[in-house]
Amino acid sequence: MWKEIGDREFGKLRTNLFSNRIKSARISSIQLSNYKDFISPHRGSINSLQVDLTEGRYLLSSASDTSVAVYDVQRATDYDESGLIAKHKHILLVDKQHEQGHKYAISTAIWYPIDTGLFITGSYDHYVNVWDTNTTQVVINFKMPGKVYKTAMSPVATSHMLIAAGTEDVQVRLCDISSGAFAHTLSGHRDGVMSVEWSASSEWVLVTGGCDGAIRFWDIRRAGCFRVLDQSHSQLGSRPTILTRSTANKSSMLKTSSGGLNSSTKGRPSQKKMGNGVSLKHAAIARQVRGYGKQRLHPGMLSSQDRATAHYGAVNGLKVTNDGMYLLSAGSDSRLRLWDIESGCNTLVNFETSRLQSTKALQLAISHDSKLVFVPCMSTTKAFDLWSGKTMMDLRGHYENVNCCLYNSLDQELYTGGNDRKILVWSPSKTTADELEGRDGQAFAIDQDNWSD
Amino acid sequence: MENSNPSTSRKRQRPGPEPGPEPGPESDLNEAQLQSVEENFNFSDTLVALRMMRAQFPRIEKVSIPPFILRSQLYSSVKDRTQVDRELESLRREGVLCTFKLNTGQDDHAIMFLDDYFSQIERISKRLEAQKLEGLCVFEWFKEHVIHSKLDPSIGHDELRSLLSLGGKVKEEHISLLINAGLLTRQLIDPNMYWFAIPNIGSVLKGLSQGRKELMSFLNRRKYKEMAMAALEKKRLRLSPLDMRFHLRDLLGSGHLKTVEAPTGLLVKVVKD
Repeated sequence: MWKEIGDREFGKLRTNLFSNRIKSARISSIQLSNYKDFISPHRGSINSLQVDLTEGRYLLSSASDTSVAVYDVQRATDYDESGLIAKHKHILLVDKQHEQGHKYAISTAIWYPIDTGLFITGSYDHYVNVWDTNTTQVVINFKMPGKVYKTAMSPVATSHMLIAAGTEDVQVRLCDISSGAFAHTLSGHRDGVMSVEWSASSEWVLVTGGCDGAIRFWDIRRAGCFRVLDQSHSQLGSRPTILTRSTANKSSMLKTSSGGLNSSTKGRPSQKKMGNGVSLKHAAIARQVRGYGKQRLHPGMLSSQDRATAHYGAVNGLKVTNDGMYLLSAGSDSRLRLWDIESGCNTLVNFETSRLQSTKALQLAISHDSKLVFVPCMSTTKAFDLWSGKTMMDLRGHYENVNCCLYNSLDQELYTGGNDRKILVWSPSKTTADELEGRDGQAFAIDQDNWSD
Repeated sequence: MENSNPSTSRKRQRPGPEPGPEPGPESDLNEAQLQSVEENFNFSDTLVALRMMRAQFPRIEKVSIPPFILRSQLYSSVKDRTQVDRELESLRREGVLCTFKLNTGQDDHAIMFLDDYFSQIERISKRLEAQKLEGLCVFEWFKEHVIHSKLDPSIGHDELRSLLSLGGKVKEEHISLLINAGLLTRQLIDPNMYWFAIPNIGSVLKGLSQGRKELMSFLNRRKYKEMAMAALEKKRLRLSPLDMRFHLRDLLGSGHLKTVEAPTGLLVKVVKD
């Protein structure tokens, strides 16, 4: 460690490489924290966790007992007697005594991505509420046609403030905070929508996963979805080779030609997708299939006829990697699949999951360098290597099923929340050297930098 | 150096031109042998495992089923599951095997070599010919057009009609003939999709799910929920026509059982979540 610091000083080791090495070493040694604890006031199972995107300081959690709580992750509220454990109590709590509070379980709570002045909650009482954090009042609320399963706001949006809400209704609705009305609805799913995520690279692209097993990509500026992921389209490797792309397209051409990938150019897609050596007969069949007795639909809506499924059950959780190139999806068929977003193919990485809970949505987490994926599997949280699918860590601590996990990349800590109403912190182990360095007999958990004049 | 030892060089060259004037069938045999060596030169782990398990498939009386392998069995024999998935995908694209989705619960897939599948279709069409039914040409169309271009375990109604019509005029009776023969089925998920199926597999599937339950309950009833693999292999399952080795591999690969190394050998234990 000292040698590496010396190398960095002399310029032999680049700073990014140095910090990545330290972070990876810390994250591979995480265990149940013995110096940090969240005191959760919830009386129901914890459904979602999120840390704000601007500072990474405040943790927002929502529970089935209609309560929402905010904690400060970096400053502890008090310490236990020996000063060894930092306890973080909630600094804000909204529950059913609040007159504008929700009436049923809150399934999702997210921060407004620009600052922590607002947060958005979605609940099974069919409402999406936008709260002002400082006054704890509801600013706007939106009524949905069904139970709200998930809401999401784009972290890279600069020109819109739309909340995408997935409910038990088949349509995904986009709610606009600035005008207080619905912007548009996206239809194409054939059952409720359980997971909604915005793309990490484009502020106009939304990914939704439904209870019908389909994952659809929407560009919100156009009608209809522009891609439906099909689990039988696969590529062998992290990026498709040029040859395999043409053979995959040859076999999938019959299906995708009726899917209408480019809605703007109607006639051209079926010819573009033909690989080498495909006979004209197949093209004739493709045209026949498309016009086979269905009424004329808007070209953007042709995708609603595409029934490809990404999972054999409902899609429970979606997570886009930090670079925006790959998508991880968890289904109630107990499979985790990794998709290449650019080509829309299944990369066939096999994650060794034996069971995943199927009735509730799961929140997955990916480490900062996209090498480890944290997945709640029944009552444990497993960490998988992203590209080989092997189980790296098995974190057992909860008494009941784990619902959500969140990775804090600033401290390399993992927070998990489950049906046993607890939020557990998994942090890298502190070495004994740190323990011995506590000055004047003061315990090491107390933050020496926490002072002001 | 041809001039230095002309006699030995002539001797060495003699085996070369000899196969030429030999009679036809023998040279064909040599060529066939050469071809098969060339094709079978490289093995992948998955292909070796598939061939081995196909050879170990138990014989079931009363039902003529070609040997099939479950995907979970492959996962238990080859260590790297991602590699298994990718090799299966490339073998499917090359046309060596085909996969079927079974309806015994979660995500069960059966893999069969394409030659076995074709011979099974032949057997069925011959049996139906003996009963003098009409429209038997649909089996030929099915083999030629649908299977060669299919890569998914399912197919939509429109696509099926259009592919079969490449062979001739298709009527509804043709498709119902395929369903009666057991080559296509419908599953409850989607009313418009047909799923490819292995013919005559009904009793075997029942035996599969009952055998799984029997093995799991047997191990669960024991005091420490484990048993030595050597002793377990000798037991026979009452309710399943498939042998113990088949079920053990399947349950190990799907994560319900795990093996633990012990000084006396391998122990099979029930996985507790």
